[in-house]
Amino acid sequence: MPELSRNYYEGVAKMKTNQNPFIRVLAIRGIGQVLSALVGLFILCIIFSIINPNFMSGANILSLMRQTCPYLLVGIGQAFVCITGNIDLSIGSVMGMSCMISATLMTRNMNPWLAVLIALLCCLAVGVINGNLVARFNLPPFIATLGTMTVARGIAQIVNGNYNTDSIGTGAEGFRNVFYYGKTLGLFNGVWITLIIWFVFNFYLSRTRSGRHIYAIGSNVDAARLSGVDVIKSTTKAYVVSSFCAGVTGLILCASAGMGSMETGMSFELYAVAAAVIGGVSTLGGSGLLAGVIVGASIWAVLQNGLTFANAPVAIRNIVIGIIVVACVLIDVILRSGKKLSQGKKEEKAAV
Amino acid sequence: MEHINKFFPGVKALDDAQLHLKEGEVMALLGENGAGKSTLMKILSGVYTRDSGSVRIFGQEVDGNLSTRQAQALGVAIIHQELNMCQHLTVANNIFLGRELIKNGRLNNGEMNRRSAELLESFKIDLDPETVVGSLSVAKQQMVEISKALSVDAKVLVMDEPTSALSNSEIQELFRIVRNLRDQGRSVIYISHRLDELHHIVDRVTIMRDGKYITEGKFSEMSMEQIIANMVGRKITEQFPRDSIPRGEKLFSVKHLNAGRMVRDISFDAYAGEVLGFAGLVGAGRTEATRAIFGADPKESGQIELEGKTLKITCPQDAIRQGVVLVPEDRKRDGLCTKLSISENISLPNLDQLCSRIGSVNRKKEEEMVFRCERNLTIRMPGPHVLAGSLSGGNQQKVVVAKWLARNSKVVIFDEPTRGIDVAAKVEIYHLINQLKKEGIALIVVSSELPEIMGISDRILVMCDGRITGEVNPRNTTEEEILTFATKFEDKFSSAVVDA
Repeated sequence: MPELSRNYYEGVAKMKTNQNPFIRVLAIRGIGQVLSALVGLFILCIIFSIINPNFMSGANILSLMRQTCPYLLVGIGQAFVCITGNIDLSIGSVMGMSCMISATLMTRNMNPWLAVLIALLCCLAVGVINGNLVARFNLPPFIATLGTMTVARGIAQIVNGNYNTDSIGTGAEGFRNVFYYGKTLGLFNGVWITLIIWFVFNFYLSRTRSGRHIYAIGSNVDAARLSGVDVIKSTTKAYVVSSFCAGVTGLILCASAGMGSMETGMSFELYAVAAAVIGGVSTLGGSGLLAGVIVGASIWAVLQNGLTFANAPVAIRNIVIGIIVVACVLIDVILRSGKKLSQGKKEEKAAV
Repeated sequence: MEHINKFFPGVKALDDAQLHLKEGEVMALLGENGAGKSTLMKILSGVYTRDSGSVRIFGQEVDGNLSTRQAQALGVAIIHQELNMCQHLTVANNIFLGRELIKNGRLNNGEMNRRSAELLESFKIDLDPETVVGSLSVAKQQMVEISKALSVDAKVLVMDEPTSALSNSEIQELFRIVRNLRDQGRSVIYISHRLDELHHIVDRVTIMRDGKYITEGKFSEMSMEQIIANMVGRKITEQFPRDSIPRGEKLFSVKHLNAGRMVRDISFDAYAGEVLGFAGLVGAGRTEATRAIFGADPKESGQIELEGKTLKITCPQDAIRQGVVLVPEDRKRDGLCTKLSISENISLPNLDQLCSRIGSVNRKKEEEMVFRCERNLTIRMPGPHVLAGSLSGGNQQKVVVAKWLARNSKVVIFDEPTRGIDVAAKVEIYHLINQLKKEGIALIVVSSELPEIMGISDRILVMCDGRITGEVNPRNTTEEEILTFATKFEDKFSSAVVDA
């Protein structure tokens, strides 16, 4: 018994040292990858500001933040789905759907806010369908969301009879200000919306029961089920979060363009994967932090913006971004597989 | 094979084991679960390397670092219990897998099919080499696997539980082929738990126990009682602390439970403050039964009652909510989220007790719960935020157990609670089981280790082939009696078999 109580007090002592905020942050699982990505982000910023000093100007920083928002939003959604060990390919098409449905309704003189609500509800429905296809009917997530991706794109095309919409008009000025053009406390409203959504979902993922269930499913779905986790419900929640984020992103792009374009959100599902993965979210599930998605999305946006500033032609931009993304993840994989190899050897020894 | 030693950390898996096989004979390798049969066979086939001892094949000394490929070249082939076939390829494709015949840079399918057909013909196996393997029955797939081994001219064939998934007539077909092999001068090592089928094919027997070679002899000269006594031959030591307390009320009962082939008409009662043991051989359906009770697998029929009330359990959540919990058999696969921390694993099923109204987890309460569990279970851990996957097996098992102790369960089912953990951790688990017993919980323990189940249970049910075949009192039973129940297969052999 004395040993037990000593054990206990040591544990309590450990808890106390954890109160130091800096140590507490470092103790969060997965923070290492976020920090290393953050270092990468700083290096990129330094390189670009050497190439073009205007890169670090206040105006560019503001517009950079605004450019980051779409990537960050879809990245949050994709991170939720990735942490459950699945993938959501329908994000881009859901953005298109949300943009086209809201714009079409607004051009038909519907109240913009009602239009926003209807568009978002349609998006959530896609999330519910995705989650059920994957978790209830056990379709491979790649195939299931490939299907809903195509269907959602089709819906985006059909709502306005296969045409892009006209301008959403003066009646929707309020909508455009709230989602894109207006500023509050010096920051663009789109940035505020993104930050609020990030804070809400970060709380949801890291602090609530549902969030914990999402991690558990990604780590070991059988163990989670046997521990009483409702796998269908939790997976569906992750897909609904993803569709909601995609829907909001579609609205932001609609407000920015002032019209609905059927092509909105093309390949965004992949940008979302990039933002999540660069930020340290594992596509195999079970680990990842939303803080990492901020860094991942920022790296993506900084590359786009910085290369434009450096006057690189589009083709070169694409090639450079592609290489950097693969390199980012490759470095991470090499670092971690090095760790894993030695762990694997230990396990083998233990097993033999 | 002589003086083979093999160490696993904390366990001496093989202790001076030996095996002698003559040309053209069928030898049965017998022993309880964990006697070291599979380990020995894995050394023979190059899956494991031996720590000491020598292996000679046809008089030729074999290097200590035998690889699987070398073993194959020497003519040793294993037919595993789980078949390793490419389900989507044809019979001929599978037989020639990895050694495809090439003509002019292209696959020579015609030649491969012709040779496969010849091979199958020579053993009178009625199979078209162009059939897709996935469409065949398990028995036929097994024949393909045997043919594959023979196509590389295997001299020594090891069959691990080959009849476990076969029907009666299929077993006869298999025996015919085995006899055929023997007549060609090949040797077969035959591992089986079904002692009653041995007399159809076996010439000699080697018996192992606790990693040691016990005896060998002509099958015809040994009686069944002798074989079983040699397989068991052990005294139960004092390592099993059993607190005898009077058993309480009837708490939990299962009536006529059916779920698939492996759970057939299971009925039993469990009492408060009693450890009910489930004994049986591997594959007897015990795990399947516990999973069906817990709602992890679908049930076909049957009734489950707790405190006289009928429970409706269709998924694990139902079971957990009503106080029935399961510590699963394979902790890596079913028990532990290895990428989550210890505290997250422990709190996972108990989040309902830790959440505020908006569903946010109260971390202070969570830490308290984890420390309480740590104290009760002496989980040795660097800290509650360490990844569960980094713990040792025994401590991992304690984490899996701990998560259920934080809630007031009424029935706790342990499936192989001490598999793969060291002796000290085992004893701690036994103490824990006793403690739960005193608290008036009904405990159900599934274990394949006979001494363990006899040591900790108050009552033992024996299962075989999906049915409960016997109930014994551990205080006045013998391992022989349990083993007799555990091998009580339905009358497949005694009446229906006409020996060739």
